[in-house]
Amino acid sequence: MNTHVKHQQEFKDRREKDLLRHILKTSWRYKLWIAFLVLVIAIGMYGYYRQLKYGLIVTAMRDYTSWGIYISNFVFFVAISLVGSLFSSILKLNKNEWSKPLTRISEIIAVSAIICAIVIIIVDMGRPDRFFYVIKYLRIQSPIIWDVIIISTYLVISLILLYSSLLPDLALCRDRLTVIPKWKKKLYRILAINWRNHPNQLAMLQKVTKILAISVLPVAFAIHTVTSWLFATTWRPGWDSTNLGPYFVSGAFMAGAAAIIIAMYFIRKSLHLKAYITEAHFDKMGKLLVLLSLVYLYFNINEYLGPAFKMVGVEGEHIIELFVGKYAPMYWFVQLGGLVLPIVFLLFKGMRRSFPIFIISTFIILGAWFKRFLIVIPSLQHPYLPIQGVDESYLHYDPTWEEWAITLASFAWFLLIITVLIKLFPVIPIKKHEHVSKRHPILNF
Amino acid sequence: MKTKILHSAWGLKISCLVFIMIFNANIVCGQDDEIKEEAKIALSFNEDDRSKIIVATATNISNEPIEDLELYFYIKRSFSNLPIGDFFNSTDETGVVEVEFPADLPGDSEGNVTILVKLMDSDLYNDQTIETVKKWGVPSPSPDHIDEKRSLWAAAANAPIPLIIIISALIFSIWFIIFYIIYILFKINKIGIIDSKP
Amino acid sequence: MLYLVFVKIVGLIQKVIMEDNKLRSDSRRGFLKKLSSGSILAATGLAFNSLSSCKDESTEKTTLLTPEGKLVQVPNSEIEAMEHLQHGAPPEEARQGIPGKKYVMVVDLSKCKNARKCIHACDKHHNLTPERPYIKVLEMKDNEKSSPYWMPKKCFQCDNPPCVKVCPVGATYKRTDGIVLIDNERCIGCRFCMAACPYSARVFNWGNPPEGKLDIPYSPETSLPSKQGTVAKCDFCPDMLRQDKLPHCITACPNGVIYFGNELEDAVTNGEETVRLSTLLKDKAGYRYMEELGTKPRVYYLPPVDRLFPFEKENSENSTS
Repeated sequence: MNTHVKHQQEFKDRREKDLLRHILKTSWRYKLWIAFLVLVIAIGMYGYYRQLKYGLIVTAMRDYTSWGIYISNFVFFVAISLVGSLFSSILKLNKNEWSKPLTRISEIIAVSAIICAIVIIIVDMGRPDRFFYVIKYLRIQSPIIWDVIIISTYLVISLILLYSSLLPDLALCRDRLTVIPKWKKKLYRILAINWRNHPNQLAMLQKVTKILAISVLPVAFAIHTVTSWLFATTWRPGWDSTNLGPYFVSGAFMAGAAAIIIAMYFIRKSLHLKAYITEAHFDKMGKLLVLLSLVYLYFNINEYLGPAFKMVGVEGEHIIELFVGKYAPMYWFVQLGGLVLPIVFLLFKGMRRSFPIFIISTFIILGAWFKRFLIVIPSLQHPYLPIQGVDESYLHYDPTWEEWAITLASFAWFLLIITVLIKLFPVIPIKKHEHVSKRHPILNF
Repeated sequence: MKTKILHSAWGLKISCLVFIMIFNANIVCGQDDEIKEEAKIALSFNEDDRSKIIVATATNISNEPIEDLELYFYIKRSFSNLPIGDFFNSTDETGVVEVEFPADLPGDSEGNVTILVKLMDSDLYNDQTIETVKKWGVPSPSPDHIDEKRSLWAAAANAPIPLIIIISALIFSIWFIIFYIIYILFKINKIGIIDSKP
Repeated sequence: MLYLVFVKIVGLIQKVIMEDNKLRSDSRRGFLKKLSSGSILAATGLAFNSLSSCKDESTEKTTLLTPEGKLVQVPNSEIEAMEHLQHGAPPEEARQGIPGKKYVMVVDLSKCKNARKCIHACDKHHNLTPERPYIKVLEMKDNEKSSPYWMPKKCFQCDNPPCVKVCPVGATYKRTDGIVLIDNERCIGCRFCMAACPYSARVFNWGNPPEGKLDIPYSPETSLPSKQGTVAKCDFCPDMLRQDKLPHCITACPNGVIYFGNELEDAVTNGEETVRLSTLLKDKAGYRYMEELGTKPRVYYLPPVDRLFPFEKENSENSTS
């Protein structure tokens, strides 16, 4: 929609105008961005087509490194998806006012990330045609089944979470936006399910939000803990650890917070929302990120100190490989550039301004992704019995272009879902809930 | 002591079983050109609280005991025959050789074992094998005893009960909440419908 | 009576083999089609086993009895070809173990000199390519001072199998006879079992199966024809065990390294000598690799003491690996 439209869109107030106008205007930048994402996805699709045609032989995975960047990418997306619960549950239950404008961004990221996690795990399967065997021949003893159950549950909960907070704004879109295509009108009308801001409706929605805020937290913890059990239930060095659950969860919160900051930065810029996502928000997020990073640092020390002190067999070899061996550059980049230095930098107020914190968060996200690479791959390369008598290609793991293309496509897919959701819906809640419960002040939001 | 067993062995001799299976001689590329005698091997089985003993008595055609005849004792197993007794088991001057059956050797589910006594590669006598089934083995566990129990590695149908209960309870509670929320959303919709047409 | 039946069956097989010899152009597959019934093949195997007592290793021919009572010499390659083409039970049937059996393997490390015959036999019968065998003979050295030794390693067929525990669809399963098998028609290719196996026993069909299209019905007991995108491993050759025949690696070993048997019968054999399992493990201090993991392997090792052969590395470099 542009200015040439005869019928001009009218808004009730400034807030509405600021938060709804991006739905009406489609800039060339947006189109270019979508085109770019679609191109990346198309290249990834071609890689996946080759994988389907020739089998997983097109990847660099072999019998020893039997899981590669697909699985580390899967763990990464599961980690990112936890951020939805951080805002919708933890910060809400703690009555944080400042985090409210960021809630929807976090929920959108959560939904998008969990969808990508599901897609990427299907990509990793040797027989994607047998995907529904996990239901047909379900074996409740397998941690993969637990993961399938919890991921599908979390997907539904995340969608409901996003939807229920979006409901009043959907009604607003339906009522206010007049100069939009028919399909959009229809979409808002259907999604708004006759929301009339009726007091009873408001009360019910409050109830829903309350229930969700409490119930999403254990599910979110479970999703990443169960994902960690995919590793912790084996004997591989670096996986055979009781610390793995909290280690994964804390890492996920840190990565999620960094993802939010990056999203905030871009949304603020491209949608001109400087008045709504302020420098104060970045400052608060910076402080929160320091706290989450410190928790993660604590579990990191726990994860590596024991094995490094004892140096037991292959566990010791694995530690040496990470600390001073083949994976040392990546390991120290992840630990210093993606964890220790961000904590140090973010202690300074100047570093918590929007641009520096965006750069720091980018490093944290990169570190988080490569951290998952380091969790998955070196462990598999240190089996108890020596690797002998196999083809030379089995000894190392350097992902092929198909793997990178598919991985990048998963990122593009992730960003595409976020972009489309942001384009369709107001990214910052417009309707403020005036209703205040006197009985349960802690549950007021 | 030993003579006592021997005596009882002779006493029990009526019960012994004499099987001469010639099929080996037919099939196997035994060079039958040389003239060899048939040896008669009689088996008896002595059993008391402490031991189980196989007694083999070898006689020639004229019913005279054969001395220094090497016999081989085996227990039939799935893939091969398990030798029992000493490395060499030769008959004494009375034509008798005794071999102790290992008391802890398993048999089939009822304790049956197939005992093979073989005469092989003798210069004077034809090869022969005597096969006897005896209920001397330790009964091996019956098939239903081996059947899989509920465990983490069992088939889906044999998952541990506590695991099923815990997971079902968790799934039920969280999906109950989800459906409850969906129900509330439906109610919100209904209120809206009523509200929109006053 | 039973014996007569065997003779008849052997006669039948003989006829077919003779015909096959005449019609040289006929391919092995054609030969199989004549005998497509697995049961006949199984019976043949039994007959060969019981009647081939005149097996002469040097000429590589086996003497068999014809219905007329004549002895004929058949090249071993013919028999092996048949063994190769016989197949195990179909997927559902293969989930049932062979009744009354609990298979166990004992590997005497003092006898292994890395002849690699077990690997070749296994590769041949499972249609494997040399760079990705089921069996690996590993060069081991327990510490700096101790001497190196060769360690043939197959699947340990654990009684507490970590791979079976993690399988989401029950594609890999533990049978009552102790064998862990994989149903490649159910495997979804998640490779969790490969990550879970502490012994790296499992391999994956990353690409197209090397043999191309094998025109036989699929059986988990032979893992043939292998299927792309699924997991495979050493299976103790249940198709052979169903006929009370030893797995291929054991019969192929020139040094009698590997003993195999039914634990319930307390006896193992390497094809030449038969010993009591309990006595062997007691006398030679048998152990299981990494007992502390609690996986309860069904493969035991006898320590590499009083070695029969000096440790020579050249042997391994000469052979393909």
